[in-house]
Amino acid sequence: MAVKKRVLKESFFASPLYDFLSPFRPVASQWYAEYIIVLFSLVIRCAVGLGSFSGENTPPMYGDFEAQRHWMELTVNLPISKWYWYDLPYWGLDYPPLTAYHSYVLGLLGSLLNPNWFQLDSSRGSESQDLKSFMRFTVVLSEALLYIPAVIYFTKWVGKRRGQSPIGQYIAAAAILFQPSLILIDHGHFQYNSVMLGLTVYAINNLLDGFYAPAAICFVLSFTFKQMALYYSPIFFAYMLSKSLISPSFNLPRLFGIAIATVLSFGAIFAPLYLFGGLHNVLQSVHRIFPFARGIFEDKVANFWCVSNVLVKYNEKYTQIQLQKYSLYATVAGLFPAFALVFFYPKKHMLPYGLAACSMSFFLFSFQVHEKSILVPLLPISLLYCSTDWDVLSMVSWINNVALFTLWPLIRKDGLILQYGVLMLLSNWLIGNFSFVTPRFLPHFLTPGPSVSKVADSYRRRSLLPGNILWKFIIISSYCAMAVIHVLDLFVLPPEKYPDLWVLLNCALGFGCFGLFWLWTYYQMFRMRNKTLYDL
Amino acid sequence: MGKAIKAEGNATKYDGNTKDIRKFSLWNFWVCSTALKLLLIPGYFSTDFDVHRNWLAITNKLPMKDWYVEATSQWTLDYPPFFAYFEWFLSQFVPGVVKKDGCLDIVEVGQFGMPTIIFQRLTVIFSEILLFVVLQIYINKSNISEKSANFVMASSIVLSPGFLIIDHIHFQYNGFLFAILIASIIAVKHQNYLLCGALFTTALCFKHIFLYLAPSFFVLLLRAYVLDFSNFKFKSYIDLINIVRWSHLFKLAGVVLSIFAICFMPFISMMPQLLSRLFPFSRGLTHAYWAPNFWAVYSFLDKVLTIMMLKLPYVHKFISNFIAPPLIPSSIDEIRERVAHNNVGTRGLVQDVYFVILPQIQPKLTFMLTLFYQILAVIPVLFNPSFKRFIGSLTLCGFASFLFGWHVHEKAIMLVIIPFSFLVTSDRRLLTPFRLVVAAGYVSLFPLLHESQDFLIKVLYTLVWGIIYFFALRQTTKVSSSVQRRVFFFDRFAMAYIALLAPLVITIQLLDVMKWKYALLQKFEFAGLMVYSIYCAIGILSSWMGLSWLYNFDEPLWL
Repeated sequence: MAVKKRVLKESFFASPLYDFLSPFRPVASQWYAEYIIVLFSLVIRCAVGLGSFSGENTPPMYGDFEAQRHWMELTVNLPISKWYWYDLPYWGLDYPPLTAYHSYVLGLLGSLLNPNWFQLDSSRGSESQDLKSFMRFTVVLSEALLYIPAVIYFTKWVGKRRGQSPIGQYIAAAAILFQPSLILIDHGHFQYNSVMLGLTVYAINNLLDGFYAPAAICFVLSFTFKQMALYYSPIFFAYMLSKSLISPSFNLPRLFGIAIATVLSFGAIFAPLYLFGGLHNVLQSVHRIFPFARGIFEDKVANFWCVSNVLVKYNEKYTQIQLQKYSLYATVAGLFPAFALVFFYPKKHMLPYGLAACSMSFFLFSFQVHEKSILVPLLPISLLYCSTDWDVLSMVSWINNVALFTLWPLIRKDGLILQYGVLMLLSNWLIGNFSFVTPRFLPHFLTPGPSVSKVADSYRRRSLLPGNILWKFIIISSYCAMAVIHVLDLFVLPPEKYPDLWVLLNCALGFGCFGLFWLWTYYQMFRMRNKTLYDL
Repeated sequence: MGKAIKAEGNATKYDGNTKDIRKFSLWNFWVCSTALKLLLIPGYFSTDFDVHRNWLAITNKLPMKDWYVEATSQWTLDYPPFFAYFEWFLSQFVPGVVKKDGCLDIVEVGQFGMPTIIFQRLTVIFSEILLFVVLQIYINKSNISEKSANFVMASSIVLSPGFLIIDHIHFQYNGFLFAILIASIIAVKHQNYLLCGALFTTALCFKHIFLYLAPSFFVLLLRAYVLDFSNFKFKSYIDLINIVRWSHLFKLAGVVLSIFAICFMPFISMMPQLLSRLFPFSRGLTHAYWAPNFWAVYSFLDKVLTIMMLKLPYVHKFISNFIAPPLIPSSIDEIRERVAHNNVGTRGLVQDVYFVILPQIQPKLTFMLTLFYQILAVIPVLFNPSFKRFIGSLTLCGFASFLFGWHVHEKAIMLVIIPFSFLVTSDRRLLTPFRLVVAAGYVSLFPLLHESQDFLIKVLYTLVWGIIYFFALRQTTKVSSSVQRRVFFFDRFAMAYIALLAPLVITIQLLDVMKWKYALLQKFEFAGLMVYSIYCAIGILSSWMGLSWLYNFDEPLWL
C-alpha cells in the first residue's frame, strides 16, 4: 500500500513541471505553486494574444474577432428586442442569450473606456491596437475568473480524495491549464470558449460535492452561453437522474430541486428576451442558435461525415432532412452506451469518461460540427490529467496533440503558426513528453534536477506512451503521419485536382485517432464501472 | 508497471538523503523562457530596434572607416567597436528573405517587415544563450555548500524581468553583454584576476556603460593582483618598489592594452570622431522620462517649490531670509519669467533641463558626486580585497552612477541589480535592500513599454518573478548566527513600499486608459511618469542607503 501511495504522488514524475514545482513541496510554501502556475499560464496567454486574430485585416467580413466585437456593439446600442434581428447577414447574433449578456457587460465596460469602439455601424471593422488589447484582456479576464479557478478546484478536490500530494495536484492543474488548443482558439483565434468550459467544470465540481441543484444551474448557464455545451447534456442528465431515482434510492426532494433549478435558471436566462420582445423574440433566438439550414458539416472537420464524404457524396445523395435524421440516429447510437453506463454506475470517476465519450460521439457523428467543437470533448479528456495511471495520462496527452493538429488548418489561416509551434512544444515538454531528450542528448551537467536526472536507469518512461504495444504503435505512427502531413502542407503544393488534399488528410487522420480514442473511453468506462475514484 | 514502481521508489529515496547528486541545471529555464520569448516576437519594439537594424546595415554595407562617420539615419553607431564587430558578425547570417525585406538598407527610417523582426529577435535570443552558459559554469564550479543558493541566484538572473522587458520586448542585447560582465565577476570569485581583467576589458569594449563599474575592478585588480603587501616592511622608499608584483602588472597591462588595441586599432585615425559618438555630452541631465534617481527627486522638488512659491508668495519671502538670491530667484516675478521661458522654448527637443528655483546642475557636479561615492565604495576593497567586498563595492559603484550620473537611462538599473544578485545570497539582511531595488527598479522599467498590449505581460511576469524569488531567496540566504546581528532595518516599511507598487501601477494604467475617452487627461501623461520615477527613486535611494550602511558599518558580514 505504501508503494502504491508513492506512485500516486509522482504522476508526472520526470517532467519539467515536476522539476519546477518540487522546490515548493514544503507545506509552508505550497501556496506559492498555485500562484506561480496561474500567473505563468496567464503570461503565456497574454503572450499568445500578441499574435494576430481571426479575420485580421480582411474586409468586408473579417472573422470571429469582429463577430465578438460586433455583438458588443449590438447589445450595447440596441434594445433586447432587436438583438436577434439586426442585420443578420453581417455577423447576426447566433449564440444563446448568456453570450449576449456577457457581450453587453463587456461592451459597456469598453464603451466606458472608448465609446468609438462600439458605435453602432460606424465601428464595423475596428481593429485598433488598443481595441485589440481590450478584447484580449476581456478573454483573459473571463478565463481567469471562470475557467482557471474551476480547474484548480477540480484537481484539488480529486487529488485530496485520493491522497495525491499537493504538488501533484498543482502539476495536474498546470497540465490542464497549459492545454494548447484552448489557449490558441481563445487567445489567438479569438473566442470565449473558456467561459462555457469553465461553467461546465463548475457543474462537475458541484456534482463532486453533491450539490445537485447548483450543478444544474451551472450547466444551464454553460449551454446558454454556448450551445456546444449541449454535447455534455446526456451525461449530466443521466447522472443527476440516476442520483435522484435509483442510487442509492428514490430521492424526491433532490429530483424536485434539480428540476426547479433547471427550469428557473433557464427561464431567468430567457426571461429578458421574452419580457422585452415577446414570444416571437424567444423563438427567433432559438432559430438563430440552431441553424439547421446549414449543411451537415462546415469547412473541413475531422468527423465521420466530412471524412466519409470523400467516398459518399452525402449532399448529392440525400436531402438535408434525411441527413439530419441519420446524423441524429448515429449520434444517439454513439452516446447511448455512455448514457446507460453513467445511469447505472453514477460514480464520480465515471463523470469525465462519460462526458468525454458522449461529447466525442457528438463531435464525430452529429450535424453541423466545426473544427473548434473539439474543445468540448477535450475538456473532460484533459480533466483526466488528474489520473495517476500512466496509460491514461499518455492517452490524454496523445489526444490533446491530435486535437491541436486538427486545428492546424484554422490556425494557419489565422497566421498563428509561430504560436502553434511554440505551444505544441511547450505543452508537451512541460508534461514530460520530451524528457527522453534530456538525459540522452544533453551533457551530463545540463540534465536538470531533481527528477529527470535522478530517475534510475531502469526507469524508461521518459515520454508519455502507454504500456500496451499496440497503442504504442498507433500513437507513434500517428505522430509520424502528423509530421508528414505538416511537411506536405508547408512545403508541397497539393495537386490541382484536389486543392484540399492536405486538409482532408489532416481530417482523416484526426478522425481515425478520435474514433480510436472514443472506443478507448468506452473500454475505460466499462473497465472502471465498479471501481472507485482512487483508481481514476 | 512493477518495474516503474520500483524505479520511482528509488527515485524518491534519492530525494531525502543525497543532496550532492542533485543537479542544478538552467536547461529547463532556458526552454521555458525561450518559449515565452518566441511568443513575444510579434509584439511591440521600440526605436532601439531600428537603431540595431541600422547598425547591422552600416557594418555590413560600409568599409570600417565609415562606420563611425555614417549619419544617414539619426541612429548613428554609438557603441564601442567590439559591438560593431558583433553587429557585423550577425549581419553575415542575414538570409536572403530578410535582406529583401530591407534589413540591410542604409536609410533614414527603416522600412522592414516581419522577416527582419523575426531575424533580429532571434539574434537576441541566440546571443543570450551566452548568459545561460556563463551562469551554468558558475553553478557547476561553485562549492556544494553554496550550490543551491547560487542556482537560485543564477536562475533569478536568467529569468529577470529586466532582460525580458529590455531585450525581448524593448529590444537590446543586454543579456549577451551582461554575460561578459558576469563572466568577469565569476573570474574574481575564482581568483583568476588576469582573466577577469581580460573579460572586463572586453565587456567595456562592447558597451562603454560598464565604465561606471570600472573603479571597482581597477581597485580590486590593483590590490589583489598587482600589489603585494605580505612581505612589506618599510625600510626606505626603495621598498615601495617591491610592493608591486611587476610581472603581474606587465601581464595584466599587456592583456588589457592588447584587447583595447584589437578593439580600437582600426579606428585609430579617427579617435576624436569615435569618442564624440561614444560620449555625447550634448544631452541633458535627465532623460525624457526621468530615471528614478537623485535628479528625479531634485527635479520634482523644483516643480513643487515652483508651484508653492507661485501659489503662496509668503513661502518665497520666508525662504529668502535664509538663502541669498543667486541660489534662488530674487522675486516672484523672476520665477514667473523663468517658468514662461521654460514653457515657450522648444522644451523636450533640446533635452535641456532648466530648474526654476533650485540651482542649475552642471555635468561636472554629477561627475564629482558619482566619483565621490564610488571612491567611498572602493576604499574598503583596498584594505580587504575579498570577493564579497568587491561585489559590494561593485554594487555601490553601480548605485552611485545610477543615482548621480548625467543623463542616466532607467535601463541602467541592471548595472545595480546584477552585481547585487551575487551579493544577496550571502546574508539575509541584504535581502531587504535587494528586494527594494529589484521591485523599484523593475517597476521603473514599465514606462518603457507604453503600449496597452504589453501591460498585462510586463506586470504579470514581474509579479510571478517576484513571488518566486522573494520566496526562494528567503529560503536560501544565510541567516547570521549571532542574534545581535539579526536586527533588520526598515523591513516592514520595505514590504509596505513594495506592496504599494501594485496600486500605483494599476492606477497609473487606469488613468492612461481613460485618456482614450477624455482627451483632457493627455495633459497629465507626464504626471504619471513623474509619479513612477519619484516613487521608484525613493525605493532605490533607500536601498542604496541600506546597503551603504551594511557595507560600511557591519563588518562581520564581509569577512
